[in-house]
Amino acid sequence: MARKSFFKRITLWRYLFLTACFITVIGNPFANYYWDVNFIQGWFQSIGIGNLWVVSPLEGLESILTAKFFYMPSLVGMVIPVTLAFLMGRVFCSWMCPVEFLSLLTDKVLGLIPKWGNSLKYRKDLVRFAKYTLWFALVAELMVTMVIGYPMFVWWSPPGLVGRETMFYVFYKHVTVEIFIVIFVLLLNLITRRMFCRYFCPLGAILALIGKRRQLVIEYDASKCVGCKICDKRCPMGISPSVGESQSVYCWNCAECVDVCPTSALNFVWRDRGFITLPKGSKQGSAV
Amino acid sequence: MEKERKTDRREFLKVTLGAFIGGALFSSCSLSDLKNPKTMVKSPIKTNVLRPPGAVPEEHFAQKCIRCGRCGEVCPYHCIKYFDVKTGGVFSGTPYVDVMEKPCYLCMKCVYVCPTGSLVPCAKEEVRMGVAVINRQICVTWQQDKTGLMCKTCFNVCPFSGVAIKIDHDFRPYIIEENCTGCGICAYSCIADTYPENNGKKAISIQPIKWKKIKQIKLEDIKKS
Ligand code: SF4
Ligand code: SF4
Ligand code: SF4
Ligand code: SF4
Ligand code: SF4
Repeated sequence: MARKSFFKRITLWRYLFLTACFITVIGNPFANYYWDVNFIQGWFQSIGIGNLWVVSPLEGLESILTAKFFYMPSLVGMVIPVTLAFLMGRVFCSWMCPVEFLSLLTDKVLGLIPKWGNSLKYRKDLVRFAKYTLWFALVAELMVTMVIGYPMFVWWSPPGLVGRETMFYVFYKHVTVEIFIVIFVLLLNLITRRMFCRYFCPLGAILALIGKRRQLVIEYDASKCVGCKICDKRCPMGISPSVGESQSVYCWNCAECVDVCPTSALNFVWRDRGFITLPKGSKQGSAV
Repeated sequence: MEKERKTDRREFLKVTLGAFIGGALFSSCSLSDLKNPKTMVKSPIKTNVLRPPGAVPEEHFAQKCIRCGRCGEVCPYHCIKYFDVKTGGVFSGTPYVDVMEKPCYLCMKCVYVCPTGSLVPCAKEEVRMGVAVINRQICVTWQQDKTGLMCKTCFNVCPFSGVAIKIDHDFRPYIIEENCTGCGICAYSCIADTYPENNGKKAISIQPIKWKKIKQIKLEDIKKS
């Protein structure tokens, strides 16, 4: 099937893109420190590429909430990620986040172990919570932030920590204790695949929230489905595309199911033919 | 499918509303307003350990800064360092300059990359990282009767020499506090620690401005605008 191999390339692109993003974030401190190349600064809390500034929505929001002060560049910096999430959902998570890269990497490395490697790689999820645990994570995060009065996620966000620890290592030749947060998040993967991303990442939650009415979704064509459920097994987020859950808010558009489906019953589509239309009968619009 | 979407939406409304109501409640009485900064969380900013140029007042700094590290990555002298959770607590990840290790050379690169306005773009002369204080008991020039030395190092290295630091008729240096940026170049370069009787102490230290009342702090004005 020619169509399938094309989509296979999309999954491959995801891996390549993830790797490229990871290398950028990891390599950047080296460029800054050893070669004085300052074109790119920062990591996924805020990254500056020349004059293009990108600010992560959750961290930016926390900063505004705690300081009660609007700063234009940080609002402008949030436009790109918010637009991206609005149109394509959690693509940051599945296509850019260094934690996802490391999770994938550990998956692949574990898969190399001959005996129980394969059973580790796509093993059953040992612990499952209700999917909406994610929202509690977001609410709890914002609550704690506002009670303490200091932004919290900025210092423990695993995607940010990957960049920060590298920078610490390059600039000051030591790493800080926060690196255990990243290790812990990766260890959680052994219990349930992408456990942290599924249930506990407030950044993932806010991106999902923004992308609730996203345009890019994975469409499930029931007439083509032969009920093999390979996609359910493959989905890193524990969603069941085989019952149409791929359009739910919890899907992060990673295309693993699209790639694995033998009958091409799952495909990326632009919802509503690519036009942004409001849900029928909704008066409040898509403000949520 | 349609039904599922609806429950989905209701769940969303609940969650979002919950977040916003809770947020509004809590942010109106957040601990940072109530707390006594000395007892709750102590800022790690102290003598010679200062925020980078253009920093908003310390009470707000850790609230605004999103610990993105861009200021440190752009600093050509690598003088910006970051607190970790052990040294900084809730201030962990925020930048500082330890002037005794490496002073700030006021190249003003860091202030232009800060995405949150924690470091506010300003001119070199407007920087108020702290204020230099000369310990006249230790300065070899102030003690010239005893030491027989007449050192002008601090005067020579100051980027605003003659403005921020002046020399009196006995060639003794003194600081004009309103004009000192607190960059720490003088403290870093002070040679008093090489004089045997000083036991390795420098004659200049940089005090954070909150400890030192200065009539005119221009950064306050910038922040309000
Ligand atoms: S959920 Fe969080 S940790 Fe997981 S991929 Fe998304 S941003 Fe990264
Ligand atoms: S002004 Fe220049 S030397 Fe000083 S802290 Fe900023 S980047 Fe470093
Ligand atoms: S650039 Fe600004 S927000 Fe980023 S770490 Fe430095 S002071 Fe904080
Ligand atoms: S007196 Fe010292 S701290 Fe003040 S501006 Fe001059 S060199 Fe910098
Ligand atoms: S460099 Fe130090 S010892 Fe020399 S004049 Fe200045 S304060 Fe005194």
